[in-house]
Amino acid sequence: MVDSGDRAREEFFSEAQEIVEGLGRDLLALDEAVRTNKVDPDVINDVFRAVHTLKGLAGLFGATRMATLSHELEELLDNLRLGRIEISASVLDLLFRSVELYGRILQNEKDGRDAPMPEVDDLLRLLHQDAGPSAAGLPDDNYDLDPGLLSVLTEYEEHRLRTNIASGMTLFRLRVQFHLATIDQALDDLKITAKPYGEIITYLPTGAGADQDSIELDILMASRAPLEELQRALHQAGAAVEEIPRRNNNGHGRVAPPGMPSMSAGLRGGVPTGVSRAVDLTGSMAASPPSSARNRKGELSSIRSVAQTVRVDIHKLDRLMNIVGELALVRSALGRLVERLRSAPTERELSLDLHRLQRTFDRHLAQMQAGILEVRMVPLGQVFDKLARVVRQISRDADKLVNLVITGAETEVDKLIVEELSDPLMHMMRNAIDHGIESKSMREAVGKPAVGTIALNAFQKGNHVVIEIEDDGKGIDVDRLLDAALRRGVMTPEDARTTSYREVLNLIFQPGISTKTDVSEISGRGVGMDVVKTNISKLGGVIDVHSEPGIGTKMTVTLPITLAIISALIVRVADRLFAIPLTNVQEAVALDEATVRQIDGREMITLRNSTLQLCYLARLFGLNEEEELSARIAGLLGGARGGSAARAALSGGRRGDGGRGTLGLQGGNKRKYIVVASVGARRLGLVVSTLIGQQDVVIKALGPSLASVRGFSGATELGDQRIALVIDAPALIEEILHGGGDRQRNDPRSTHG
Amino acid sequence: MANLSRRTARIPVSKRNSRAQASGPRTEYLAFSLAGDTYAAPVSLVREILKPPPLTPVPRAPDSTMGIVSVRGQLVTVIDLRRRMRLHEGAPQRRARILLVDAANGETLGLFVDEVQQVYRLADAEIEHAATALGGDVAGHIAGIARPMHGASASDGTQGEAQPRVIILLDLQAILAS
Repeated sequence: MVDSGDRAREEFFSEAQEIVEGLGRDLLALDEAVRTNKVDPDVINDVFRAVHTLKGLAGLFGATRMATLSHELEELLDNLRLGRIEISASVLDLLFRSVELYGRILQNEKDGRDAPMPEVDDLLRLLHQDAGPSAAGLPDDNYDLDPGLLSVLTEYEEHRLRTNIASGMTLFRLRVQFHLATIDQALDDLKITAKPYGEIITYLPTGAGADQDSIELDILMASRAPLEELQRALHQAGAAVEEIPRRNNNGHGRVAPPGMPSMSAGLRGGVPTGVSRAVDLTGSMAASPPSSARNRKGELSSIRSVAQTVRVDIHKLDRLMNIVGELALVRSALGRLVERLRSAPTERELSLDLHRLQRTFDRHLAQMQAGILEVRMVPLGQVFDKLARVVRQISRDADKLVNLVITGAETEVDKLIVEELSDPLMHMMRNAIDHGIESKSMREAVGKPAVGTIALNAFQKGNHVVIEIEDDGKGIDVDRLLDAALRRGVMTPEDARTTSYREVLNLIFQPGISTKTDVSEISGRGVGMDVVKTNISKLGGVIDVHSEPGIGTKMTVTLPITLAIISALIVRVADRLFAIPLTNVQEAVALDEATVRQIDGREMITLRNSTLQLCYLARLFGLNEEEELSARIAGLLGGARGGSAARAALSGGRRGDGGRGTLGLQGGNKRKYIVVASVGARRLGLVVSTLIGQQDVVIKALGPSLASVRGFSGATELGDQRIALVIDAPALIEEILHGGGDRQRNDPRSTHG
Repeated sequence: MANLSRRTARIPVSKRNSRAQASGPRTEYLAFSLAGDTYAAPVSLVREILKPPPLTPVPRAPDSTMGIVSVRGQLVTVIDLRRRMRLHEGAPQRRARILLVDAANGETLGLFVDEVQQVYRLADAEIEHAATALGGDVAGHIAGIARPMHGASASDGTQGEAQPRVIILLDLQAILAS
């Protein structure tokens, strides 16, 4: 039982975690902006707000260390946003380090550890040194702004005004009428429209207004765009744009609305509707409002956005998914019932009604299933942001210039997959920088741009998501990889002569040679790539490598979109049922034993003009097909018979056909079928006794005590408490085509089960 | 499926009374038979007793793994205790049951036994620890030997089956870890 205190603490951790992640994202954007010299003040504000929220949270939960860190950071950021200090690489470094420390502090707090963290103290000291304000830029007096205006600007607004004038922007005045009822929205829209052209510094009511329900604002904006362009752009929003003349052109600036204080008083007294809004407006415009007022505004907006989302424990979704699975079983049973009623002529009407009801049930169930699956989906951007931070860190450590180009961060995959992905991707990224990208001098020597590029691409491809990490580095040195393999005895010299380039590249996934001493130093890759591969396979994915010497290396990871529900082909092997995920099934054909050839101890057939290696599942799993009790099976499955029906079920498309999972038992006929499983470019023909049909299944993991059993990715319930093991096709392909081939070769038994 | 708390309640009242006179705290043990002998494990470790649902064997699994069953939607690996303890094997009988227990790593496992007998409340005095009873070289999964007091059950008219002379107490965690 979790009491409410614990739950609140849990909430605290997940919320803090989320904010820290957002912080990291903003910092990356800031880093990018600093490099391109286009710092968006909004980003600094976001960072400031995030740290401020963290401080509040930490205070609430007594996380002192986090509160202190936040406090110091807040100082630093406040100075940054007010322009008291310059944003520099060293300041950014401090900020990045603090994000990392936040993570560690959170972990410590979560574990209830209270170990001293010297690195935090170090950072605090550094922050303290840096937090002191440097000399602020002198105000540029090129503009003769009304002192009345200057006096109502907040310190922040004043800073922005100065910065903009200093960077040579022209000031404009926008005069816009707003309806009080819609002013919030309209003002936001205007800000968005104006954003590409420049920055809105402040806005003040003019005192004039068409009627009681509207208000006229003077908006002070800085922009590089010419007057005409602004006029055109903002005309739609109803803004009259005027350029504010520079000094010596025209005596006094006309920015400040005359009699502004009395105006706001008039607003307070004279406008019956939207009073609070008007007060708020003038309040934020009053001369240097206390900083808390500004912060509160920020908090309010963040609270609102949080309120629309709900954090849910993924296991709760799993439970819901299980219930949907159970409902699917009910649906199947219902389907059978409807079939039985149909054959009874007396119950015709009842049967029709029930049938209709069942169809509705089907539809809603499918919607529910899709809904839950959708909730589980999160954008890959969650991992990619982390990777971007890692890239920044590693490239600095390795003193290499790397430009990370991300596409497809919005591609969605199951939350569980995202979680499991971050480590393998991190590993690959590290390899790409450490061993792929050359040093600056080396790159220049071979005529490549000094800055290396790593492309991180994600896209959806059917039921799969593909993630590519591609660098323009030196590529993998195949000869040396081969040397290492020979030395380690992974390969015999004869093998080495006959293996293809691709097979050699795949050596990097071999545990034996992917050690630092052997490969990575010489040929530049392979640190723990076997581990990466194992982790990816656990997710039902595959990893492939392409490399061209001198041009670069591309790692491609192909993953299923979700682990929760899959369409599977149900097959029978001897007297057992198995499920093969349809994503791995290319086709299913009848096996003609006469066409099977033995090559080098392996059974092959020719299918569609290419050679296909076969794997007799009955033999692989040690099942005796002679003892096959077809009568018993027939009883279990409800007795439906008909050989061609199975093929019809398969070729009839991929519609959910759960209720009819009883097709295609072949009594007496010993003809077998080949299910062509494919992963990437590799294919393997799985020989099964019978095809049963297609069904949507919920995969459940086997317990830890069966973790060492290879070849199954889980099991699924088919109804009547029957369980079918789900065949892990990628693992089988791996085992048969690469690893376990020897065992099969030495098997003296005949190929016919 | 049989609920353990109910099962405990079935212990004859007379027995409880007579036992209450023995000194020291008592621990409840669930007794079951395997290959003709009586074994027992602490009741606190047994979560549930199931009539065996259809069992799905897992090819390539360790020898003592009988297969997997579904318990209200959750997959549970069932272990053949006879095989795990290298007893002689026999076909499962009608009275066979699966005991659900939690292993140290948090996984729920099923233990296949020939028959569930009853719950014994044993005082420390009735238990000989493995090392003293059988010498130092005893198998790790045997925690001790218990001899329930016959006098107590002799007056127990409700107990239809014959009282075993010796109960072998099992260290479940040791069995599951092996």
